[in-house]
Amino acid sequence: MSKHFILMFWLFGSILASAQPDTITIGFGDYHGVTVSASNSQTYSPETTLKQDGYLPNFNAASRFLGQSTLGYNMEDITEVTQLGIEDWIDSQFVKPVAFSLKNKVKEYHNFVKTATNNAAAGQIYRMWSYAWWQYHMASPDALRQRVALALSELFVISDKSLFGANSYALSSYYDVLLNNAFTNYRDLMEDVTFHPAMGVYLTYLNNPKSNPATNQFPDENYARELMQLFTIGTVKLNMDGSQVLNANGVPVPTYNNTDIAEFAKVFTGLSWADRTTFNRSAANDTSYTLPMIMFNASHETGVKNLLNGFVVPNRVPADGIADIQDAITNLFNHSNTPPFVARFLIQRLVTSNPSPGYIERVANVFVNNGQGVRGDMKAIIKAILLDPEAKACKNGENEAYGSLREPFFRYVQINKAFDASTLSGNYRNDMDYVYRFVQQKPLTSPSVFNFFQQEYQPIGPIEEADLVAPEFQITNAQTIMGYINSLYRFVIQENVADEYDLYTNEDDATYANQVSTIDLNDEVLLTDNNKLHILLDRLNLLLAQGRLSAGSLNIIKNVVMELPNGTTTEKRDRVKLAIYLIMSSPEYLINR
Amino acid sequence: MGKRNISRRQFIGEASCAALGSLTLYNTLVNLGIMNTAATRPHIINTPNDYKAVVCILLAGGADSYNFLVPTEPTEYAQYVATRGSLALSNTANPPQLLPLNYNNNGRTFSVHAGLSAVQNLFNTNQLSFLTNIGTLIEPIANKTEFNSGAKKIPLGLYSHSDQIMQWQTSVPQSRSAVGVAGRLADILQDMNTIPEASMNISLAGKNRWQSGNETNEFSLSNTSTAATIGYTNYSSGLSNAGYLNDRKNKALDSLATQQYANIFHQTIGDLNKSTSESLEIFKVALANLVPLTTTFSATNLSNDLKKVAEVMKVRSFLGAKRQTFFVSYGGWDHHDDVINNQNVMLPIVSNALNEFNNAITELGLQDNVVTFTMSDFARTLTSNGNGSDHAWGGNSMIMGGPIKGGDIFGEFPSLSLTSPLNLSSRGLLLPTTSVDEFYAEIALWFGVSPNDLSYILPNICNFYSPNACPAPVPSGYMPIGMFS
Repeated sequence: MSKHFILMFWLFGSILASAQPDTITIGFGDYHGVTVSASNSQTYSPETTLKQDGYLPNFNAASRFLGQSTLGYNMEDITEVTQLGIEDWIDSQFVKPVAFSLKNKVKEYHNFVKTATNNAAAGQIYRMWSYAWWQYHMASPDALRQRVALALSELFVISDKSLFGANSYALSSYYDVLLNNAFTNYRDLMEDVTFHPAMGVYLTYLNNPKSNPATNQFPDENYARELMQLFTIGTVKLNMDGSQVLNANGVPVPTYNNTDIAEFAKVFTGLSWADRTTFNRSAANDTSYTLPMIMFNASHETGVKNLLNGFVVPNRVPADGIADIQDAITNLFNHSNTPPFVARFLIQRLVTSNPSPGYIERVANVFVNNGQGVRGDMKAIIKAILLDPEAKACKNGENEAYGSLREPFFRYVQINKAFDASTLSGNYRNDMDYVYRFVQQKPLTSPSVFNFFQQEYQPIGPIEEADLVAPEFQITNAQTIMGYINSLYRFVIQENVADEYDLYTNEDDATYANQVSTIDLNDEVLLTDNNKLHILLDRLNLLLAQGRLSAGSLNIIKNVVMELPNGTTTEKRDRVKLAIYLIMSSPEYLINR
Repeated sequence: MGKRNISRRQFIGEASCAALGSLTLYNTLVNLGIMNTAATRPHIINTPNDYKAVVCILLAGGADSYNFLVPTEPTEYAQYVATRGSLALSNTANPPQLLPLNYNNNGRTFSVHAGLSAVQNLFNTNQLSFLTNIGTLIEPIANKTEFNSGAKKIPLGLYSHSDQIMQWQTSVPQSRSAVGVAGRLADILQDMNTIPEASMNISLAGKNRWQSGNETNEFSLSNTSTAATIGYTNYSSGLSNAGYLNDRKNKALDSLATQQYANIFHQTIGDLNKSTSESLEIFKVALANLVPLTTTFSATNLSNDLKKVAEVMKVRSFLGAKRQTFFVSYGGWDHHDDVINNQNVMLPIVSNALNEFNNAITELGLQDNVVTFTMSDFARTLTSNGNGSDHAWGGNSMIMGGPIKGGDIFGEFPSLSLTSPLNLSSRGLLLPTTSVDEFYAEIALWFGVSPNDLSYILPNICNFYSPNACPAPVPSGYMPIGMFS
């Protein structure tokens, strides 16, 4: 659909909107303020009638859904969802292939620099991973995969705050694992992550030797512990609805003890670089990080390993470390905690901070069985999360205890997506350095394996008093709040929307200039006259805030925007930018409901 | 999950049934509105003498602190070498791997890691001490037998980073939802400070549990914060009527934040946005009045963080501060691998930063007003996993400052033999013999907390104090570790 057409829709649609600025929401999900008579009120309440399948989401509902299923979207995307419906849109996403390998893109940049400079070490190689990530996310249509992969990067955490922080090959190759497995099976993810050398180095089980009793030397426990605590089962036993199993004294039951950790630690011995022929060597070169680790059985701990729930890894003779690892992965994949643990995590990342027990259980059940007897089917899990009534019900917006704080990095991507950031060459280049400095978040930059924030975080005040959680508030402090507002100034008002650097010193200016991102505000600039400002604000409210800004908030914004002159195109553009700046700083924008 | 919704007013209300300490009385009066707030909160205090600050340096990740402080009496050193294997530091190498301390307790002698040369000097000049085998406990546990008996309460999630790093900050190891020690200190003492918008708790490391109270949020600064960088970016003065527009823009930001919101997520982010903009204004003015320190600091993040702490202390009168806590974090101590090389690089950073900070505090004339200490998630297994070590429990902390009795090792340095009754596994995991509670109790009493309020700050403290010393009132000056001179 052409942008022109959409603009026409908005001019038309806003006539209605001006009468009732934020509640034109008939249809799937939000049926606020609409009276409907059910054809058979004994069987179906009017609410049920409106929620029947077959109703397409309205614009606000589509925008809200895209907030759950993408990292950012524009008006065309909203329209597409209103036309396809949510489930068909998801299905259309599932068949979109991985657009390209980030690792290969890094290699391409690197080769370009090598050719241009005749020097493999020239250029800022450490930025290439970020450029590759950004290129992928700005230019590829697999928006759902991108959203899921980012969520997974906050579960199976590695970070550039590590030995390989400057190695773009390590980071990009690891992220490929997440993109490749977003729609496969949770077990595949566990396996590919386990064998990736970036994780091996990050959690120190690459070159992890077997025991040596003579020197009191034991296997490294790092991966054993975090694989259980953070990637699969968590520290306490869970019911399928995510609630804790309590013992007779009402105390949570631990899922494992330190002896279990030592047993799992024995399993994760003997792995090392695939391009080395002996154990305990350092990486051969940068690209060593792109090859799955291999087993050196002579360095693998022999003997039985007693894992969880009575599972025993046999004493394999000769030693077969790979088989031992597969056993351990199976043991955890099949653990009864894994479905509710993963379900809760992914719901929190995609939809909301405090899913109901029923919501967690419905998704966990799909993790157990996708309907065809398959456990861990990612597509089924994602569908269960996004199609759940609790995800779709805009009515949750009326629940005073429902919500989640948008991750700051998502807000940044959204600016680029909503306003169609483009470059002359079609190639994007963004180090994402500023957004990280402002809000302390960009992909693969967590301060530790515990992610940017923890699932259980409770900010002081009414959320904590209601015994609810709000993970994203853990990175919301005076510095990041100020940083976020000032980032809006830089990205929107100053239009410095991406951070481009030369690929190598003295890269020619034209090549560089062709990759500088600019945002497109042309549709918005037509709506800056005082008598059209409400149309502009309705449009931005839909595009950015899923229609959630109240009339009161829109009025505050409108009154300030009207203070700016509106003569030249530049002045009109300034009006649009101030409106975006204020909308994106408002609590109703910042909270997803 | 236990709710932590004790409101401070409710707490004060309950406390007022008992005898009130003077500070509690002060708070109660403020809370009841008996004192005229405007009159009692002049924005610049005239009595700068009454100032105390506690500075926490978190060595995040679980530092292998049994290589910070090493026993050198021959028998004990031999045990250390036998247990630590490939991780043992040599007592004879040249250049030295260990530096001796001026300390001899009935023949027991100790050295510090060679990376801690400035710390060695601070110790030997009585400006710094160690706390040994300290850790998170709910109640005392005598030995491995008692630990395994099931009769003693064991901290939740023992050996997990997320739990133990949190428990060091809350001192409530039976809960995953408790607030922090400095947060509770601020719940009680924030009103001693005269500008309510300037938090008593200032963080150089963002949100942290230590400084979160039932009613207290930390204020986060960055080590690059200056008067020029604090605050919201404004339209440049090139724009006609920029001043007016900026005023409107910033007022709109505040209006959006302070609208009445029914949704609790809206309320929470709105309140944070509002309190942030208020605090930023105050800190901007304070830092605009900063006269630079003459003390020089290294170009490390930790040194820069501590420099910023000293600068904030220097402008404390503009913050109305009589009590402050500071939280600084230096991460990367989870040395499952390569612990020797990593500590060789990281410990000099800590050592120099402590020394520089001590110099700055002296420059400010606050050597008798500031206590600085290190904490870490846990210490690590005494045994090696090749060239690293894994998660354990009791460890060694440093504490520095004029109020502290320097040149001492507080607590009981444990036997490092794997047959020690304190060792919980073949890996060498030591049961702590001094609790974090006992440590914080002495800090809190020095800081000015009434003994009556001690169990609000430290809910488990009575498990560690003898029955006639607890419950309140703890006798005045009851400080069994004896850190304060």
